[in-house]
Amino acid sequence: MTVQPLVQMTSISKTFGGIAALENVDFQLLPGSVHALMGENGAGKSTLMKILAGVIQPDGGMIRKNGQIVRFVSPREALDAGVSTVFQEHSLLPNLSIAENMYLGKEPVTKFGVTDTAWMERKAKEILSELGLKLDPATLVGNLSIAERQFVEIARGISARADVVILDEPTAALNAADVEVLNAQILALTKQQKAVVYISHRMEEIFKICDTITVLKDGRNVDCVPVSAIRPKQLIAMMVGRELSELFPPRSNRTEGEVVLSIEGLRLTPDATPSSIMLRRGEIVALAGLEGQGQRELVRSLVGQYTPHGGKVAVRGREFAFPLSGELGIREMQALGLGFVPEDRKLEGLFLDLSLAHNLTIGLHSRHFELKPASAHREVIANSMKSLSIKASRPSLPVNALSGGNQQKVLLGRYLALGADILIIEEPTRGVDVGAKAEIYKLLRDYANAGGSVVVLSRETLELIGLCDRLYVIHDKHVVTEMPAESATEHAILEAALHS
Amino acid sequence: MKRLDDLSRAALRIPPSYIVLLVLLVTLWMMRPNLMNVAILGTFARQVVPLGIVVLGQLLVISSRSIDLSAGGVILFVNYLISSGLLYEWPILFVVLLCLSVGLSVGLLNGLLVGKRRASAVIVTLAVNIILIGLVEYLANGKPPGDVPDQFRQLYNLRFGTLPAPVIFWFVLAGVMSGFLGRTVFGRFVWSIGSNPISAHFSGVPVERTVVLAHTISGLMSAVAALVQTSSIAVGSVRFGPELVMNSIAATILGGVVFGRPAQVWGPFVGVLCFALLFVVMTTMGVQEPGKLIAQGLIILLAAIFYGVRSKSNS
Repeated sequence: MTVQPLVQMTSISKTFGGIAALENVDFQLLPGSVHALMGENGAGKSTLMKILAGVIQPDGGMIRKNGQIVRFVSPREALDAGVSTVFQEHSLLPNLSIAENMYLGKEPVTKFGVTDTAWMERKAKEILSELGLKLDPATLVGNLSIAERQFVEIARGISARADVVILDEPTAALNAADVEVLNAQILALTKQQKAVVYISHRMEEIFKICDTITVLKDGRNVDCVPVSAIRPKQLIAMMVGRELSELFPPRSNRTEGEVVLSIEGLRLTPDATPSSIMLRRGEIVALAGLEGQGQRELVRSLVGQYTPHGGKVAVRGREFAFPLSGELGIREMQALGLGFVPEDRKLEGLFLDLSLAHNLTIGLHSRHFELKPASAHREVIANSMKSLSIKASRPSLPVNALSGGNQQKVLLGRYLALGADILIIEEPTRGVDVGAKAEIYKLLRDYANAGGSVVVLSRETLELIGLCDRLYVIHDKHVVTEMPAESATEHAILEAALHS
Repeated sequence: MKRLDDLSRAALRIPPSYIVLLVLLVTLWMMRPNLMNVAILGTFARQVVPLGIVVLGQLLVISSRSIDLSAGGVILFVNYLISSGLLYEWPILFVVLLCLSVGLSVGLLNGLLVGKRRASAVIVTLAVNIILIGLVEYLANGKPPGDVPDQFRQLYNLRFGTLPAPVIFWFVLAGVMSGFLGRTVFGRFVWSIGSNPISAHFSGVPVERTVVLAHTISGLMSAVAALVQTSSIAVGSVRFGPELVMNSIAATILGGVVFGRPAQVWGPFVGVLCFALLFVVMTTMGVQEPGKLIAQGLIILLAAIFYGVRSKSNS
């Protein structure tokens, strides 16, 4: 028996500025299936789905929808043909109500030519309750939680009678309870013989709810397999092209160093359980757990970028009470040898249009008084480029001309050049290819072996397990437990987070 | 394809003021080749020296993602101090120092309000400007302003060879500012903030302090500009064209300094020269005052449009 695929994409190619993002990629979606699209960052998952959703047009290849050749030149056309997308970046308008968002651009009118709000809200309520949601369709989207917004986006797709729903990292902002609701919705969709494309980096989710996996690497097909026929380890090997364990440098057998950073009784919200954390010399410690549980707030409290409610921190013997002050936070901590490497290197870290040299040395400059002559720091620049193996033709190159991996190394290099003993790093390898990832892991391990101490947070739990010595599991704004990374597994971390 | 991209990007990095100046020079050379000599052009350049000095401050402020609209008020206030007769008995050096400290304080006030209190730069500096204008009108109390001490006039008319002293002064000051920006830690801070204030903060750049200092220097420059302006007209005046501030912003933008570019001195410097040359060209064409105003407005518009294009190509 052959089932006609809902979507059949054949030999899809797409080039951006001379670089092939997709090369002859095939993708097939059967009705009633939940299809995971896997691959490293930059493997082409999002590009492929944007083509299917009509956001961008392919350079070559063919798309068939229910057997018919189609060509979507806009997201609207794709939606009309039944392809609905919930992208990472939310596309709802916060100043309109749920119902207005769901019927945006196709508002029903009464016989007097006015928008039929009552009808819209009634229909919206029906669809929402079909999904098991008790939301008032008249609520402004701006007042909804991130999870609720995502559900509304899904509902919008359904209201357009979509039979293909693309979910791009749907759980990135959801907590465990919301993930359950989402899974129930996905199940309901498949029962109606609709198909779901599921993009996620979370292994557990993939193996729990998907039935088929297509793996992409560097813009090409690697394989398409049923979930039942593969184990997580094999899947990772498929994605990165080698075993994950090869990426991580070996941990060293250290003796216990002295404590360089300790946080005591930190309360992130007024009624949160107090958390305590300590960091020893020469060790890499991770803050793990589901996303958005307070990891970010915790580290940002250290540099005055978040206002916690009480607690204290000791940095190399100097004690401060929370909350710290804004501008002084970063500068005071840098003076104490604590470097904070922010997550979003494009928006918070680098000066994209300024030179590599400027980006590397600005930390050193900011130690000095304004009227001091700015030294060129040629040696620092040369050393950094060499020791971090930053690939750039010359130091005067603007950093936006560099690859993501090299940009990340420049950012790290800035804080290393400061001679920081403690590094707090949010997402050390976000948007970085596998090769550069391995390099960055090795850099951080070398840094720790040389006596540095690191706190890392990352969305990728496997990265934390492989890279670190010790993990703190954070859930619901506090530290739930602590475990050695050597014996930690994704499952154990999740377990600890959810059954605290 | 890629090379063409690089070329067009490089072309976009050349301050537009250089191109405008070239066009104006060629125009003038074709219309009146006899005007193309140092003495005459120097005299024309002398007229825009106050504008040029205001621009030296403005470019600092703009590249620190702020703006200074208070230059007109500072100039008026300083002009009043010198010409009102209150200080006729005082030694000239002291008068100059007093005027400079007025500019410095106004700049500091602007800076503290914008940098520390996070108030809107446009509103703060505009309000300060209005306060200064009101203050002068109150102090003058309807009396016509008096004369400016002779020494100022003499300094203004001084020439070294064929070049007027104010033009040389302006050039030297621009050189100092260029060196200051290029060689000091402060310059790196300004570039960083201009490129990305959040990244600047996370790198440990003292963002507030830098903004305060930029405004303070801008206030000081306004006071210096006021001294030159006052010397040039030799009498007190209750009105200065509000176009001076607008022109300073236009020249800065024409000079290629927009939010998110490393601050450069010479682009805006040439931008100011463009204004000078434009007046020459228009005068030789017999364009009257209203026509000049319209042309100035068009340049400001051009700068605004250019700014829009550039911010887009930036992203």
